[in-house]
Amino acid sequence: MSKKQKKLVILAGAFALALGITPVANAMHIMEGYLPAAFCIAWGVICIPFLLAGFFSIKKSLQANRKALTLLAMSGAFIFVISSLKIPSVTGSCSHMTGTGLGAILFGPSSVAILGIIVLLFQAILLAHGGLTTLGANTFSMAIAGPFLSFGIYKLCMKFKINKRVSVFLAAMLGDLFTYCVTSLQLALAHPSDQGGVGASAVKFLAVFAPTQLPLAVLEGILTLIIIIGLESFAMPELKAIGFVKKEAK
Amino acid sequence: MIVIDKLCYYSKLRYVNAGEKFAYAMATLIFCLVSRSIAIALLVLAVNGILNVKTGGIPLSRYKTLMAVPLAFLFLSTIAIIINISKTPLDAFAIPVGSYYITGSHSSILYGIQLILTALASVSCLYFLSLNTPMTDIILVLHRLHCPLLLQELMLLIYRFIFVLLDIASAITTSQNSRLGNKDYKTSLKSFGSMISVLFIRAMKKSNALYDAMEARCYDGTIRVLTENYPPKKKEIIYIILFELLLLAAAIWRRFL
Repeated sequence: MSKKQKKLVILAGAFALALGITPVANAMHIMEGYLPAAFCIAWGVICIPFLLAGFFSIKKSLQANRKALTLLAMSGAFIFVISSLKIPSVTGSCSHMTGTGLGAILFGPSSVAILGIIVLLFQAILLAHGGLTTLGANTFSMAIAGPFLSFGIYKLCMKFKINKRVSVFLAAMLGDLFTYCVTSLQLALAHPSDQGGVGASAVKFLAVFAPTQLPLAVLEGILTLIIIIGLESFAMPELKAIGFVKKEAK
Repeated sequence: MIVIDKLCYYSKLRYVNAGEKFAYAMATLIFCLVSRSIAIALLVLAVNGILNVKTGGIPLSRYKTLMAVPLAFLFLSTIAIIINISKTPLDAFAIPVGSYYITGSHSSILYGIQLILTALASVSCLYFLSLNTPMTDIILVLHRLHCPLLLQELMLLIYRFIFVLLDIASAITTSQNSRLGNKDYKTSLKSFGSMISVLFIRAMKKSNALYDAMEARCYDGTIRVLTENYPPKKKEIIYIILFELLLLAAAIWRRFL
């Protein structure tokens, strides 16, 4: 082996090792204590308008129909459960869906913001994914940015009459990717690099998380698609109850 | 099913006033985060370790595995902070790759260590809260902090439903496994998808049934629950205040002296 080949083998080995060490490929929750205090507060403040909008929209739908409370609670629990279940993966590693893409498509992005912050709080306390101080940052990336993009893409695809299956897949996958990009940017803003500042740091965070997050995004898209197909084939009345199907007919 | 939730009902500190535990965890967390000093982080890690394992009675092996939960994230993101790729080597280490160097500086390594310790200490604060306080008590604390009633009710219901849905999901998964539902990758993807769609239908049915049950019991828009009250003890409050003052002193000492 020449020197270059040796280097290549070592590099490939290191890469494989890095994948092996990370058996838990979560959707990227920023862990407790990883952001400086100022950033925790700032991201929390940015979330407030979205949360207020969600809160008022939920309140309005509750006034119209009191039954919506149990339905909303069930939806929140549903998002929590699908994000805590182990999904099938090739390497046998233990990874999870975010589930917020599916939530946004089914229930609309503004109620997902409120459900999302509750789910993230539960994930922090019950599963130690994410944390109390990073709740604001995580809410922004996972319960606001991702779902809003998913919902936007889904509606846009519907408008241009793109195949529904393709649009569901795209919405879920791109929503997941966007969450990952936003989280990397949040980390980079909090921890800029010595050389090159925030930009270089963002590239590094993107690169480091890419091996786990890119396959996960594709998987999330595929699974969301399978779930939606399953729902459409035998849950029409329920889909009508949450207003998912009626919007289609328009 | 959810390990942390199970453990917190066995904790010896379960019947300590929830407000005290919440205040202690949050204050310590904030000191860790604001000071970012290695000494404070180590102190907090040690104290919380003793509180959780010795006072709370959480098995040490369990505590260790729980502390390892966020390690993957910690490992990857700290790599991103320490390692630079540039044309000029930095002072701590430099591995040449072509015309570039994989390199890092002493200051960024120090920063990384500080960050790892602060994060671990913060996680131990979070665990102190979650391993010793059942979720219903935490919701009660939020009630005292004047969190909107709608959110409290949603949290209460979601907490209950999580276990209902997890039960259904695990039953479906068992029956799928016994019918070779996960024999290869493609089938397991399909099984997972159909499991989730059935879960959704069941969730909707359950929520309708619950609403009917609530209606039958005179539900009028608010859920009223009785609370058990464990008054705070003076001795505990004094200990907490002393510890936080110690942390404050340490933080000031590290910053200004």
